[in-house]
Amino acid sequence: MPRLLSSAPWLFTLALTIVGCSDSEGVSGTVDEFGRCADFDPLRQVFWGDTHIHTELSFDANMQGTRTSADDAYAFARGETIPLQPYDEDGDPTRMATMDRPLDFVMLSDHAEFLGTLKVCNDPSAPGYDAEQCVDYRAAQQFGATPEFVRDVFVRINGLLNLPPEDATYPALCGPGSAYCLEAGMDVWGGIVDAAESAYDRTDSCGFTSFPGYEWSGNPDGRNLHRNVMFKNETVTDLPYGYFDVPYPEELWERLIGECIDADNGCDVLTIPHNSNLSDGVYFENRMANREPLTPEYAELRNAMEPVIEIYQHKGASECLPGAATADELCGFEVIPFSNLATTNLERITPPDPKGFLRYAYGEGMRFEASLGTNPFQYGITAATDTHISAPGFVAEDDFKGHGGAGQPNRFLPPPEGFPDVEYLSPGGLTAVWAEENARDAIFSALRRKETFGTSGPRMAVRMFGGWDYPSDLCDAPDLVAQADAAGVPMGGTLAPQPGSSSPLFVVSAMQDSTSAPLQRIQIVKGWLDGDEYQVQVFEVAGDANNGASADLDTCELQGEGFGDLCGVWQDPDFDPRHRAYYYARVLENPSCRWTTRQCSAAEYDCANWDYAACVQHKQDFLPSDFTCDCCDPAAGLNPAFCEGVDCSDPGLLSEDEERCCHQVEPVIQERAWTSPIWYQPPS
Amino acid sequence: MLRPLVHFFLIGGLLFSSKVVYERSRIEGPRITVRVAADATDANVETAVREAILLNEAQRLGWDRTDPIVYTHLIRNMRFIEPDSPDDDLALFQRAVEMNMQAHDPVVRARLLYRAGEALAFVPEDRMPSRAELEEHRRTHGDRFEREGRVRFQHVFLSRSKRGEALSADARDMRQRLAALGDLAPAGLGDPLPGLRPERSATPSELKDDYGAELADVVGEAVVGAWRGPVSSVYGLHFVKVMATEPAYVPPLDVIGAEVRADRLREIRKELREERMAALREAYRITVERAP
Repeated sequence: MPRLLSSAPWLFTLALTIVGCSDSEGVSGTVDEFGRCADFDPLRQVFWGDTHIHTELSFDANMQGTRTSADDAYAFARGETIPLQPYDEDGDPTRMATMDRPLDFVMLSDHAEFLGTLKVCNDPSAPGYDAEQCVDYRAAQQFGATPEFVRDVFVRINGLLNLPPEDATYPALCGPGSAYCLEAGMDVWGGIVDAAESAYDRTDSCGFTSFPGYEWSGNPDGRNLHRNVMFKNETVTDLPYGYFDVPYPEELWERLIGECIDADNGCDVLTIPHNSNLSDGVYFENRMANREPLTPEYAELRNAMEPVIEIYQHKGASECLPGAATADELCGFEVIPFSNLATTNLERITPPDPKGFLRYAYGEGMRFEASLGTNPFQYGITAATDTHISAPGFVAEDDFKGHGGAGQPNRFLPPPEGFPDVEYLSPGGLTAVWAEENARDAIFSALRRKETFGTSGPRMAVRMFGGWDYPSDLCDAPDLVAQADAAGVPMGGTLAPQPGSSSPLFVVSAMQDSTSAPLQRIQIVKGWLDGDEYQVQVFEVAGDANNGASADLDTCELQGEGFGDLCGVWQDPDFDPRHRAYYYARVLENPSCRWTTRQCSAAEYDCANWDYAACVQHKQDFLPSDFTCDCCDPAAGLNPAFCEGVDCSDPGLLSEDEERCCHQVEPVIQERAWTSPIWYQPPS
Repeated sequence: MLRPLVHFFLIGGLLFSSKVVYERSRIEGPRITVRVAADATDANVETAVREAILLNEAQRLGWDRTDPIVYTHLIRNMRFIEPDSPDDDLALFQRAVEMNMQAHDPVVRARLLYRAGEALAFVPEDRMPSRAELEEHRRTHGDRFEREGRVRFQHVFLSRSKRGEALSADARDMRQRLAALGDLAPAGLGDPLPGLRPERSATPSELKDDYGAELADVVGEAVVGAWRGPVSSVYGLHFVKVMATEPAYVPPLDVIGAEVRADRLREIRKELREERMAALREAYRITVERAP
């Protein structure tokens, strides 16, 4: 029996007021008919969103000094300015943030596990308020608290997420049966749902869509197994079930099915996995909670509950790993050089594991499908920020203020000198959906059917269809979408066998972000299962991989020509109808400066007489020339002179300074979009 | 004057510490002296006065001696000063109070101001907005809830990537073809682009995000019934024909109730802060001294 039910059954009798306006008689906000928006397109339009946002309600964000609320996050998403940490002695913010364009939809995803804890520790009338952990937490909030003390308090409480599932438990401050925090957590959850209601535009303008949600944050032994839980509307479960309530993903899904999907009250929910790159390669392992291999029932459950996955965010990309399985020179994009979540907190270096990446999952998924009948890893694609500063969609490389997260004490970094975040972290990306209108039903349905794609930040729109009879000049047809849709399946779909057809065709059409770099090319990544072995091949479909475009490292000006839009019809040259396969498109911008390079190019720095050891030792003294310290750090990739001759093949022979050359980030990146795959299933 | 003060104190007490027992002596308001820098601006003086009042109220309520954060912080201070002291926490705390440490410690000051600020903004049940109040709020603050006007227009696009050097000539040709269409829809004309539709309803803001300012401006001018263009964007050239316009409007309360309520509550909190502070300002006798 799940421990929550056994420990605090009385909680389920508590009523939770979750529909907005409960205090204002007669004001209802629940009309949400499909087709109510003035701008409705049966062939679907693109909407941009972020489904991974933390506010002051997340314990880690809170400990990093985030003081902005759910309302602030929604305001930011609509284009308003919000304050950012650190706050000065008078409690005034030292930074502000504004996004250049509003988002269409947002799901806030505060960590479920400590929603109640924060409430208890901040409410003097709550039992548990005087507990030692709360006293320490509050002391850590004070202006004079040292970074070491803050970190210590953070690790002692947040570290509970690292416990193995069988030991997962709420903090002691939550009292007998964790009742204090469970009750407080219900209260906070009600507030989260209320805030989403207030933010949702129910008029026919359909200017903004919000979804209630939270993050399930289990990371036993530092192995990230996190999932975001996204509800379709204001009908939600009584509690936001976290790791301490349901310590195995299967338990989470079963709880959500039982209390939401099967409740026959309009509730619907899905979960979005993320940061498999930081799972030590266990995210897609062949093992269930009971340590037995996957069963057909498990595969069906996971397939049904997790239609999409986050391929990229603030803490790195999870697409593929350089050198693993296939030659793909573009797999090095924003790869975190470590293998688990604890590393990002504790600086323990373990190399990334290819089993934590989507290429592995897609391959394994086909293999499971062959043996179990269902592909448990048939993921569509999303991307997000995972911001911990209440700033959804804040993805600009040229205005990166750090997203916090992973226990980094942003509040103690003194902006504007020095980097606002660790060099290997990044601004994160966006999710795009193809939906009929900007409303909850339409967007949620798009996620369910995986008609989605993720980008590394720029809003480059991509459309992909697969079929058997597309004309080769389909890209010239003004009604491309109508034709492709009628004769095939969109991204996220599955192609059934077509007797008599030689090979499937795919049409991919893309347009650049009007405020970003031009496009360089479109690729299709094909993976297939041959016997028990899966393979991958990358094909160029449109554009020019050798267009000579680049970015000036000193000024970050873009150099070279590119494309405003690209389109290609591609037919698989090696198709074998007996082999399971998947195909996804990758669209690349021309090269541009990474955020680290942009910040350094905007500042004056000189690595000629730079001394890394002295810089680290006397970091506090380097102000206001902290950019010299950070920009010349070999890990920032901007000090090639220092790294010249360093051989990373045997790290044991390198000094600590030299070893940082082996983890350097790329000074120039190629922003990109990844579409959900189209799968091919052979005849059974 | 007494009632607002009592109201504030009770709220503060109820909200922030069940241990605090409010004691009210019926004497004239407190006298305090606020010291500011010689060159302090009026805004600096106002801030200092407000903080001094809140700190004094917090101290009158005993929060500087009963607040758990203050308690813990002062003990930590004492353990730092007297690392070898065998005294227990309570004894150390009492000695810190005897030394009046709480009056000068910046962390204590920040904590007390935070608690007092929260108490000022607390919304009691009888101030929660009714439906009638929300309707009035929606009506009188329509600008906050207004939805941007929309334009329904037809759109033909010519891709620079696809047409290259022929783009200008193709655009001239397209302009003639469109002019000849009359009222017919531009079916089958132009190039595809993800998300582009022959006819669409959009706001100028949405168009600016999608295609840039130039196209948004042309559509926003809302010249109905005539083909305009070519208009340039990073993608190529565009022709647009506005079919109809829908003005900006304020939606009814039934549709935006949650949004209006959240906005009104933010206002009420601000009003309460100001009301309660004004009451305190009136009750207090304040002398401002500038440093020589």
